[in-house]
Amino acid sequence: MTVASRRARGRKPDPGFTGDLFTPAAAVPAAPASASASGLARARLPMRLPSPRQLWLALELPLLPLVAAAPAHASAGALVIVETEGAARLVSACNAIAARAGIRPGLRLSAAHALAPDLEVREREPLAEARELKRLADWAFGLTSFVSLEPPNRLLLEVQGSLRLFGGAEALLARATAELGAQGHAVALGLAPTARAATWLARASPGTVIASPATLAGSLARLPIAATGWPGEVQEDCARLGVATLGELKRLPREGLARRFEAFVLGDLDEAYGQKAAPRRRHQLPERFRERLELPAELGNTQELAPYCEWLLGKLGEFLRERNSGVARLAFLFQHREGKPTCVLLGRALAAADVEGWRGLLRERLMRVELPAPALALTLRSGAAVPLSGASASLPGFGGREADQEALALLDRLRARLGENAVHGLCLVPEHRPEAAWRAVRPALAVPAGVAGPAMLPELARPLWLLASPEALPVRGGQPRHRGPLVLESGPERIESGWWDGGEVRRDYYVARTAQGARLWIFRERGTRDWFLHGVFG
Amino acid sequence: MINAPLDALLKRAAVWRARSVPAGAAASVDRAVPSGWPTLDAILPDGGWPLGTLIELLLPQAGVGELRLLLPALRTLAESRPAEAGRRWLAWIAPPHLPYPPAFAQSGIRPERLLLVTTGSAPERLWATEQALRSGSCVAVLLWLDAVDDRWLRRLKLAAEAGGALAVLFRPVGRERDASPATLRVALEPTAEGLDLWVFKSRGRGPARIRDALSS
Repeated sequence: MTVASRRARGRKPDPGFTGDLFTPAAAVPAAPASASASGLARARLPMRLPSPRQLWLALELPLLPLVAAAPAHASAGALVIVETEGAARLVSACNAIAARAGIRPGLRLSAAHALAPDLEVREREPLAEARELKRLADWAFGLTSFVSLEPPNRLLLEVQGSLRLFGGAEALLARATAELGAQGHAVALGLAPTARAATWLARASPGTVIASPATLAGSLARLPIAATGWPGEVQEDCARLGVATLGELKRLPREGLARRFEAFVLGDLDEAYGQKAAPRRRHQLPERFRERLELPAELGNTQELAPYCEWLLGKLGEFLRERNSGVARLAFLFQHREGKPTCVLLGRALAAADVEGWRGLLRERLMRVELPAPALALTLRSGAAVPLSGASASLPGFGGREADQEALALLDRLRARLGENAVHGLCLVPEHRPEAAWRAVRPALAVPAGVAGPAMLPELARPLWLLASPEALPVRGGQPRHRGPLVLESGPERIESGWWDGGEVRRDYYVARTAQGARLWIFRERGTRDWFLHGVFG
Repeated sequence: MINAPLDALLKRAAVWRARSVPAGAAASVDRAVPSGWPTLDAILPDGGWPLGTLIELLLPQAGVGELRLLLPALRTLAESRPAEAGRRWLAWIAPPHLPYPPAFAQSGIRPERLLLVTTGSAPERLWATEQALRSGSCVAVLLWLDAVDDRWLRRLKLAAEAGGALAVLFRPVGRERDASPATLRVALEPTAEGLDLWVFKSRGRGPARIRDALSS
């Protein structure tokens, strides 16, 4: 049933209905949109002051795109993170050097280039930003037990209960600023009895504290409309009405606002002033398994230790079953009488709960572990437990069928024995430089749909073997040689790229044939007489 | 008819004819994969590279055409056994160079299907190959190795039989005289004209030489 049809039925209830279920809707005058209807309905609610027990701290993180895309701030020069909006490429964050040159978020990339000619440009990485925000949410548990994520770049913390612990609001804000600063983040803070008000404060007048519900309305009234972050047309409408601050907007007749604006305007206002509850979703700290076992005697032989390890795995199995979760990483720590404990790490491609699989990996690893001294005690720690239903969703193709399990089990076994760095998947990277046109990835994750679009493939043939790094060829009489003279079969294919990131290449590639019949992919550094072997057609 | 007893004998399933070429390609699809090179397919039993057993290719050096020789078969395997069916990987154990993803994409093999295992020690290479062959999640397992104990080769052959993948061992030339349980042994001999193949061990037939095998 559509909204319109429901309303039509609301106005003229079926004769069978005795109760008047739709009285409020029936009482609406000729209001055009359902939005204003709900706004009016709310207008009749009694004024409700925000609960004095809540105090919200909003942390707005403008540098999140920068920290996520360039974690180490490795760049010594001006660096900007850009995103594409329609046809324009806009700066979404920049480092301090770029800021000193006058670059600001929201600027066009072309304008930024004019301000800082040797600008380093990186694309925004939304996935990395989400990860970083989650990491910061975990950090925020040091300040309070209630943390809510507000993507893309905001955290909301309910801190009423933490004020006394940290010595008041000012001290809490100073601590948050300092700890975020140490992680490379700048932060704009707002503290208010409602989450919405704290958010607006952080945006419009960072550092402001409204500690008491009594002063909330007065302080909010002074904020400019821009603090709300509402879409441009709403803000323009306000300006046209001669409204510059929230206080002026709030004084306008409610019915008029409901008719003029969409529902979220009144909704946001009510939330900010504490007249409407705005529940936030709580961020959960991931659970981890941790259990210690004192050994009956000092054991130095890993075969003797195996049963104790497996007992701990059994405990882990119970822990995971109760939570319907799986883990992807395990660490066994063998404590010795002195010195550091010996750590044995196990990993799997996907979070898994089956103890049997872990047991197999453990056996494989224990065979090749030498303890430096007998162990006194044993600790098993797990990585973050993830709900199993959601775990496989991120891996298309790995639907949890038996055959897929087999493929994953192979990966796990190879990694357990050979190490994480010995097992790779491969994927394409859209890049002209041959050495940068591929990437090694974790194999299980290397199946994103449509990543290898044929559009990004080079037109000319590429060799099946690529050398780890180009190998200089001897030259005689200006001609390159490789176990004898080379015959150039085709070429040149000119590849010039990478001048912007310091990895500049200017090369002419040729296909050459050796006297033995092998076909090589060789290039000449442009402007030089140096020849290099880069690939073999195999 | 003089030949009647012989014909009757030949019709019995237990009797293999050395030069028999399979009647229908469908029947042999699981025993062999067409190599894509007609002169080679013509002399291979079942008309292609045998699956589920060990194949040995001997090379004077990397890059003489060994990948071009295998590529059509790898593509056929990758296409006929989609990753979603669980047979996911073309495993490369300790190759001499990087199998270059753009070239494979150009040849119609998605780079995501390649599984690269890089490890230096021979026992670990052999172990990894055995695991990959047994797991049943690989359509092809390619191993590069020089000296190897023939007991290990026997283990690899058993693993290949269990998993049914295309199993190819690349070794340097000069190992022809080493005993090997491989079902098919081929030496690659590049010449100025092209690549000659010296098929010196093949099930049910004598040695054969193919000149310029990749020209067709």
